[in-house]
Amino acid sequence: MSDYKSDYIVEMRHITKRFPGIIANDDVSLEIRKGEVYALLGENGAGKSTLMSILFGTYEPDEGEILVNGKPVKFHSSTDATACGIGMVHQHFKLVEPFTIAENIVLGVEPEEKKLGILPWVNIRKANQQIAELSRAYGLEVNPTDRIADVPVSVRQRVEILKMLYRGAEIMIFDEPTAVLTPQEIDFLLQIIDNLRKDGKTIILITHKIAEIKRVADRCAILRQGRLIDIREVADASAQELADLMVGRQVKFMLEKTAPQFRAPVLEVQGLTVKNEHKFDVVKDVSFTVHGGEIFAIAGVSGNGQGEIADAIAGLLKAASGKVLLNGKDITAMPVRERALAGLSYIPEDRHETGTIPDMMLRENLALREYYKEPFSRRGILHQEAFRSYSEQLIQTYDIRCAQGPETVLRSMSGGNQQKAIVGREIEEQTDLIIFVQPTRGLDIGAIENIHRQILQERERGAAILLISLELEEIMALADTIGVLYRGEILKIDAAEKMTTQEVGRYMMGVKEA
Amino acid sequence: MKKKNLLLARRLTGRHASLWVSVLAILLMLVTAGILLLAMGKNPLAAFRSFLQGCGMLPKENYGGGSGMLTDLLDFLNYLAPLILASLAFIAAFKAGLFNIGISGQMMLAGFTATVLVGYNKALSPVIAKPLVLLIGLVVGGLTGALIGYLKYRFNIHEVVSTIMLNYIISYLTGFFINNNYVDMMTRNSRTCTPEARLTLTNVMIGDLKGKIPLGLIIAILVALLVSFVFRKTVLGFEIKAVGMNRRCSQYTGIRVSRIILLSMGFSGAIAGLAGVAYYLGYTNTIIPKSLPGMGYDSISVALLGSGSPIGALFAAVVVSIFQQGANYMSSSIGVAKEIASLITGILLLFASCGNYMKFRAERKIQQAADLAPRSVPAPAAGKPGDRGVKTL
Repeated sequence: MSDYKSDYIVEMRHITKRFPGIIANDDVSLEIRKGEVYALLGENGAGKSTLMSILFGTYEPDEGEILVNGKPVKFHSSTDATACGIGMVHQHFKLVEPFTIAENIVLGVEPEEKKLGILPWVNIRKANQQIAELSRAYGLEVNPTDRIADVPVSVRQRVEILKMLYRGAEIMIFDEPTAVLTPQEIDFLLQIIDNLRKDGKTIILITHKIAEIKRVADRCAILRQGRLIDIREVADASAQELADLMVGRQVKFMLEKTAPQFRAPVLEVQGLTVKNEHKFDVVKDVSFTVHGGEIFAIAGVSGNGQGEIADAIAGLLKAASGKVLLNGKDITAMPVRERALAGLSYIPEDRHETGTIPDMMLRENLALREYYKEPFSRRGILHQEAFRSYSEQLIQTYDIRCAQGPETVLRSMSGGNQQKAIVGREIEEQTDLIIFVQPTRGLDIGAIENIHRQILQERERGAAILLISLELEEIMALADTIGVLYRGEILKIDAAEKMTTQEVGRYMMGVKEA
Repeated sequence: MKKKNLLLARRLTGRHASLWVSVLAILLMLVTAGILLLAMGKNPLAAFRSFLQGCGMLPKENYGGGSGMLTDLLDFLNYLAPLILASLAFIAAFKAGLFNIGISGQMMLAGFTATVLVGYNKALSPVIAKPLVLLIGLVVGGLTGALIGYLKYRFNIHEVVSTIMLNYIISYLTGFFINNNYVDMMTRNSRTCTPEARLTLTNVMIGDLKGKIPLGLIIAILVALLVSFVFRKTVLGFEIKAVGMNRRCSQYTGIRVSRIILLSMGFSGAIAGLAGVAYYLGYTNTIIPKSLPGMGYDSISVALLGSGSPIGALFAAVVVSIFQQGANYMSSSIGVAKEIASLITGILLLFASCGNYMKFRAERKIQQAADLAPRSVPAPAAGKPGDRGVKTL
């Protein structure tokens, strides 16, 4: 077997990987040719990232074998994979923020020299030079001495790519690389990927965005629920075909949305400024109004103050200056609970950290807005029966799938069902204002459709909706009005039908008036 | 063998998982301690028997005049009472996600204050003195705990740091006053309290045996029930647990987190104060200056062995007390230094804190067994069949 000369640079044979409660990869076999862009398409939870984590040595497969350049290999850690010329850009970048770009790139493979023959010493100046050359050679301009904490997301991604190049990677895995980028930055990245291929590198692209696959990939493997469904030549497959294969049924791309009917203003934000712990303005003098029956969407690249705006309106962060009015009433100084009672509900960005208590049961999580009121408690004593019946009702209404009913520990549920629980809990309050932050992040297409429908239903009811999302597609599909956020400032507010995706994308990069 | 393993795995993931983890921890501790004793050339079974004999749970070969098995058992209960209270104090803070390792200091300060204010006052009748001792324990401990909570939310000082520092401050401060004002010249400890103030009734004749009646045990059981009630049934308990499990989400739902931190540290300190008076005005009846009670640390083992449940702590305290209290007799009868009791408690803590790991291994084992079995049998840990993307990976 070991003498066998292969046409393929990477072969994964009959890979199976189990986690408690789930088979992440079920007998998956792939062969990747040298110098191709190979896409892995699948919904969230289809097992794409796990499969590539196995190739990168993060996980060891339960069954199956991996061959690189025709030779069987066994990776016990990513160090082994790196030694075989495999590199990976993770969805969440692995960078040390207080370090400079060059320091991050050489970390672990430092160019070590001996001073006076014995003292080990890292020649960072030489590294800076090498990295500057490398970045020019591939069109990935960075300044090696900038600190990671000071550079935007797109530059951090370039650093991750340079990290692979510096280590001499021949096989490069990109895990959902475009999720955090603006349309223009996506164009740039896809160009870079194309250049890397021309340079002879082999690229594996993990994504659920079919448009990107059509643009750069040569071949595409489709995964669903851990199983390999099909492998297609991208040139021969239509986008619709790929989407149907990914989801396993016919996909409807369009949402049915009625014409907007604005009512009285519900949320008025006036000159809102929020400072972070370093006294830096993360939200700067932001003003906007959301009416009943209106979906006001805030577009922007991640980390431009979106979460802080939502937190400041909900009362989790203090406003440094400015005012927040709810139904004409000033709520700027109110504590969180009073704001909620005044008519505000909030689906936060982070399901585990903010939206739920993962170690509590579903019934307790569903009652987080109600537990202190009757009939859930009377004179400080809880009534579990009320928790149970309320949660049973919500499980039914919002189709929350849970193995042990109200007693299911929330952590054991899938991300989509956790999100359904949060959305159900907040919508059930029937408030005048609902804030949705990244409501569909990490969900599969079915769950996304479901949540979009609910957002539109609440709009019909006459609720004011503040939608904050990084997915431009989502914003274009749902919004009545769009505000674009850049470095904590709203650069542009306009009716959604007056703006194109390209225009919004330009504002997201900070271009004021074109 | 395979089948038996799976049975254990089922137990460790089933409804009474925490109980089985504790049982397994005790068994592992007995095995480890047994190997240790064997290595020292002692018979482990004889050693374990002598621990039980020392606690009045098995008869000794011979007894002195006026004493018997019951005397030993009452002595054991006298030690048990403050240990239960101390572990309840740990649990109260632990539920809010706070690690109160200052229980020793809180015990000492409460015990010292009660001794000085009530214990030396010969004019008070027992009906006034005893409740007053309890009240002082509650208030002094509660205020100390609340101070730690205040330092945490006002100045963001981690409770582990502030409690360690407070332990030193309390230990040296009380030591200073004892040595200056309240020292017994013979023993170099503080002077003993009056029987009126003491929470343990001494020299009570039961038949022809002399025994001690620890009133603290009644308090301990009442407090265990109260703590259990608070965490199972009340809005306050729910909010404390919520803060302990996810502080940010608690803030998001509108719980005033700082208030909960202050309250639960105060709550914890107050119970530690009760433990202090039950220890210093019940069990020892004197204070050794500048020596923090080891019980404050044993309480952490007890709480973990009881898997954080107040009722579990009652039983876990019995297990730990057997080794601590039985060590003297064990030492004299088979000749192993009594420090082995602390060693055993330490081993127990080690196994008890592996509880989550044991559960994890058990879940894994069951999962693997289910994967090997024919597909039609659904795995218990898996989501509903057909539920897409059971877990985000």
